[in-house]
Amino acid sequence: MARIIGGIGTSHVPTIGVAYDKGKQSDPAWAPLFDGYKPVAAWLAKQKPDVLVFFYNDHATSFFFDLYPTFALGIGERFEVADEGAGKRPLPPLKGHLELGIHIAESLVNDEFDIATFQDKAIDHGCAAPLPLLWPHEPDWPGAIVPLAINVLQYPLPTAARCYKLGQAVRRAVLSYPEDLKVVIVGTGGLSHQIHGERAGFNNEEWDREFLDLFVRDPARLARLTHADYVRLGGAESVEQIMWLAMRGALEGPIRTLHQTYYLATTTAMTVALYEPESIPASQPAASVEAVL
Amino acid sequence: MNPQIAGVEDLVGTYVFDLRTSHRALKLNRFLWSMIQATSREGFVADEDAFMTAAGLSEAEKTLLRARDWLGLIQHGASFFVLEKFARVAKKTNLEIYAIMRGETFDEFMATRRVPECR
Repeated sequence: MARIIGGIGTSHVPTIGVAYDKGKQSDPAWAPLFDGYKPVAAWLAKQKPDVLVFFYNDHATSFFFDLYPTFALGIGERFEVADEGAGKRPLPPLKGHLELGIHIAESLVNDEFDIATFQDKAIDHGCAAPLPLLWPHEPDWPGAIVPLAINVLQYPLPTAARCYKLGQAVRRAVLSYPEDLKVVIVGTGGLSHQIHGERAGFNNEEWDREFLDLFVRDPARLARLTHADYVRLGGAESVEQIMWLAMRGALEGPIRTLHQTYYLATTTAMTVALYEPESIPASQPAASVEAVL
Repeated sequence: MNPQIAGVEDLVGTYVFDLRTSHRALKLNRFLWSMIQATSREGFVADEDAFMTAAGLSEAEKTLLRARDWLGLIQHGASFFVLEKFARVAKKTNLEIYAIMRGETFDEFMATRRVPECR
């Protein structure tokens, strides 16, 4: 049976992809960010998960507002990386896990979670910005993804509580997959940032810290917050942190933090965190929690 | 009124992109979205006015686009996530657009940032 061996929370700031493609990994302004991903990449290299289930959002790239799905699961063996206006990125197409994707779709719908599905659509920076920092891609990606897009752009958005429940339903789906696969759940977005209007540039580090703390200890409290709460506390676009709650729902129960990096450089509090369910033995001491301020 | 966003109207400088806005500004947002296609970028650069007319934009929308009025476009109903695709064609970085929306010069804005070199 498939197993969930961990969870990753990560920002998906498009500039991370730009800096990556320009080779700024050692640039002093960028190194704290890239170095922060190294322990997570090392953990993935050691654990060798077969699949990353990615809760991400499409930034009105492959879906436009004329038909914008609340939840949409990607079905396929490969997904192109999207051109978002600046041309194609030098990344190989992402590998999809066709059978697990189909199984999750069937399980979710039969579980009364009536998602949309998509095929043959490109994946944008919601997934592709952080992925190369987590997994090597030369000559090719070491595993497959199952992308699950969540509407965090056009209100009404799914509530934080609904995203948490989606994660729980994805957990049931993964655990009922007959093949012995190792699965890691990824939730993307945030942390605090606002990138439109005169309030652009808003951050709230105190709230970010509280979010990261509650995320581990008391996610139910985060699930009770309204979108307006997220917008007020973390800035308008930080509402996308409800995608972290989907990942938290899929981990269910107590979790331990194996790694955490927080780097607020310009406009988005760029964060990466690695979690393991308490129900499985620790793969390493929880020692590398760090804060880069 | 969507109870999930009750109170957001009190946050100055924040514009909710909901179905009302989306419906009102659908053509503008579709135009901005089209910039993910190389052919659209080339078409716009070759003849801005003809391309905007073909997209069915209103005179007010064309004026905002000609002026590269980033804040005005948001206030009119543009989603930032398609606006940033147009920004690539207009050769502006997101950081430059944030500064403009705040009413600051780029240097003023970057001086408020913790690691201004991170760009």
